[in-house]
Amino acid sequence: MFRFIARRLLQTIPVLLVIITATFFMVRFVPGGPFTSEKALPPEILRNIEAHYGLDQPLWRQYVNYLGQVARGDLGPSFKYTNRSVNEIIGQTLPVSLELGGWALLVALAVGLPLGVLAAVRRNSWLDYACSVIGMIGICVPVYVGGPLFALLFGVYLQWVNVSGWYEGIDRVLPALTLGLAYAAYIMRMTRGGMLEVLGQDYIRTARAKGASEARIVLRHALRGGLLPVVAFLGPAVAGILTGSFVIETVFQIPGLGRQFVISAFSRDYTLILGTVILYATLIVVCNLIVDIAQVWLNPKLKFE
Amino acid sequence: MSASRHATGFFAALRMTDFGRRALLCFLGFYMAISSGCSKRAASAAPAEKILRISQRNEPATLDPQLATLPDEFFIIRALGEGLLVPNPDGGAPLPGAAERYEVSPDGLIYTFHLRANAKWSNGDPVTTYDFQASYFEALLPMRAAPKASLFFPIKNAKAFYEGKLSSIIEVGIATPDKHTLVITLEEPNADFLSIVASGSWIPRHRDNVGCQQIGPENATTRLSNGPFILIDWKPNQHISVRKSPHYWDAANVKLDGIRFLAMDNGDTEERAFRAGQLDVTMAVPFTKLAGYRAEQPSPLRSVPLSETRYIALNTTRPPLDDARVRRALALALDRQTLVEKVVLTGQPAFNFVPAGLGDFTPTARLAEDTDEARRLLAAAGFPGGRGFPRLELATWVNSPVLEAVQQRWRRELGIEVALAQREARTHLAALAGGDYAMAFMTAIPDYDSAADLLTQLTTGNPGNYPHWHDAGFDRLVAASDWPAADKLLIEAMPLIPLYFNAQNFLVAPRVKNWRADRLWTRFYRGVSVE
Repeated sequence: MFRFIARRLLQTIPVLLVIITATFFMVRFVPGGPFTSEKALPPEILRNIEAHYGLDQPLWRQYVNYLGQVARGDLGPSFKYTNRSVNEIIGQTLPVSLELGGWALLVALAVGLPLGVLAAVRRNSWLDYACSVIGMIGICVPVYVGGPLFALLFGVYLQWVNVSGWYEGIDRVLPALTLGLAYAAYIMRMTRGGMLEVLGQDYIRTARAKGASEARIVLRHALRGGLLPVVAFLGPAVAGILTGSFVIETVFQIPGLGRQFVISAFSRDYTLILGTVILYATLIVVCNLIVDIAQVWLNPKLKFE
Repeated sequence: MSASRHATGFFAALRMTDFGRRALLCFLGFYMAISSGCSKRAASAAPAEKILRISQRNEPATLDPQLATLPDEFFIIRALGEGLLVPNPDGGAPLPGAAERYEVSPDGLIYTFHLRANAKWSNGDPVTTYDFQASYFEALLPMRAAPKASLFFPIKNAKAFYEGKLSSIIEVGIATPDKHTLVITLEEPNADFLSIVASGSWIPRHRDNVGCQQIGPENATTRLSNGPFILIDWKPNQHISVRKSPHYWDAANVKLDGIRFLAMDNGDTEERAFRAGQLDVTMAVPFTKLAGYRAEQPSPLRSVPLSETRYIALNTTRPPLDDARVRRALALALDRQTLVEKVVLTGQPAFNFVPAGLGDFTPTARLAEDTDEARRLLAAAGFPGGRGFPRLELATWVNSPVLEAVQQRWRRELGIEVALAQREARTHLAALAGGDYAMAFMTAIPDYDSAADLLTQLTTGNPGNYPHWHDAGFDRLVAASDWPAADKLLIEAMPLIPLYFNAQNFLVAPRVKNWRADRLWTRFYRGVSVE
């Protein structure tokens, strides 16, 4: 298993290199630059600013310099925020996105898993249909509709919570619910599907024949296999949920990484775009690795090869 | 299936299993987080201090007056600092700020500013001319990469020094005979100089902050200020808090204990926060809610006219737009009054380019809308009834119903068809700068209170000359500072089609008194109070 993990981590290096290279050149070929403004800068001033940030050097040279920097763990200065480094910005925004993602994931799992299991166990009952309807609503209603609706209801009309901001504990509720319920719907559908498949298997019938209680059959025998599709889905989903949701962070004005990433693309903050992409790529690779390990653990047919 | 029959047993088992216990613990944790939050919310409901809560649109890239570029950044910088002169809330000549008076030499070249003896920095240090000199010198250092360095170029030798033609900064015309007297020598007489001095880029920094590590969120409290407020907290993308400065010379007239600039990057989020009572002043009003707020009594809606011209730039290097008759035809065929009343719902129709009242500008010519004349001009240019007119693209960076109205009007009145295209903002700007467009929606916002700032951009070869238009006569008028004639020439040659002068619509809570803002995005915090 350690050989498996070590090999997978080594594979990460070329993957990251390809991603960095592709992103580096792609952002440079996008029209407009970090110093494009609606009031065009006089050429002598633009030249000066570009020299200040090393943008006057040949592109290959900038690329080599950047790789060297990244290898030392320095993601460079932000082009937009003149007094801040990319490391600082990520250091400030990532924990916020992680916290939001953590709560949302908790909501997603706490709602999605039990409902999915229930729907499968009581297939074709009113409970199953109700879960299906709720699931479809959760999947179909985008978060930019659900979020403002929650904010209007609980923030403006009922005044239970703030409609936006990220100051007090209660400010976590609406964003976590909005983001979590959207994922809960997917998790519920997948759990139900996985469970139904497993519940029809021979070994479940065997367990039942041996007189195992229904709870034992569901929780001990079926759930492990039934969760396989959910776990596969969770890999990229967790990476996405943890690095922040642009929409949720915008609707609720949360100082997270997701919004920072999109803003950096709009403002052509080259280093911040690259830094976020590197982080995101690393996180996806790690999450996928964890998923692979979890799948081997859940499914005895798989081996670490 | 047998499974459903045992569902009650399943519920019972859930509580006993490890999974069930963990799930319960998670829920408990979540519930506790929620309930603890609730009690805090109740405690913070009644602020004892007079804190004004203003919405802040863009996270400031910097709070350094010489590096800042956006009005959003100057909203905060103006609360913290005060230049030699300050804009006049009623329009007209700038008012004394850190300088209590100034003299101009008869040849208009030498400006002598006398600082207030009681002006102090937030640490109690007296405000001296050395602070001003150090700040302005630093703005001119090429390595400092100040985007608005050109606002210092009217000073003698400043441009030459910036471009490296002069090695010694001592030769730049900023002298300090003593700590209260600042003498600025100009390259040539400049009628707009006082407006430039009142612009945000001329706000000083304490000499201890100059040349040091820049002020950012991490070291926010080390920033010294000579204005009505002190920076006390900077949480990126959350809020920036300032507190009243006891050392400000006019502290007696500052009615607020502090201001919280709350980050609100989305107009709808902002409006919800205002309705929920989290905000006192917004940046804007969602377009769809404008009519609703206007109808409310008493209405929290405020509208401040801006010196901002919204126009359509025409690429004068591309046929058929290289023909002035075509450009005029397009401009004359519009109905701006209806456009403003029915579509934009705010602002004033623009019958010329430079807004009246910018500096002391008064337009002498007015575009006479005339669809018959437009059709005649188009026919004369070879497109009778719009026949043979190519399908041009009208590009924009914002989704605005204005362009659809223009498109429809041209189709109906001139028989020509344009395609609308919305692009991301910087892609749009890059296309304008590179001349890679046909027609483009654009905005012109002056840096300081003068027609010069807008008109100079349209001179030959200027990077802001988005129509890529050359007219030697226009260049001569601008060189001679004959703004009314230059503005008139624009209406004749029509390298761009003025549409409307914009206005800022925003919401102000009833508890806020004496909120004032001017046409150049300046806010006057000094007299503002909250109940």
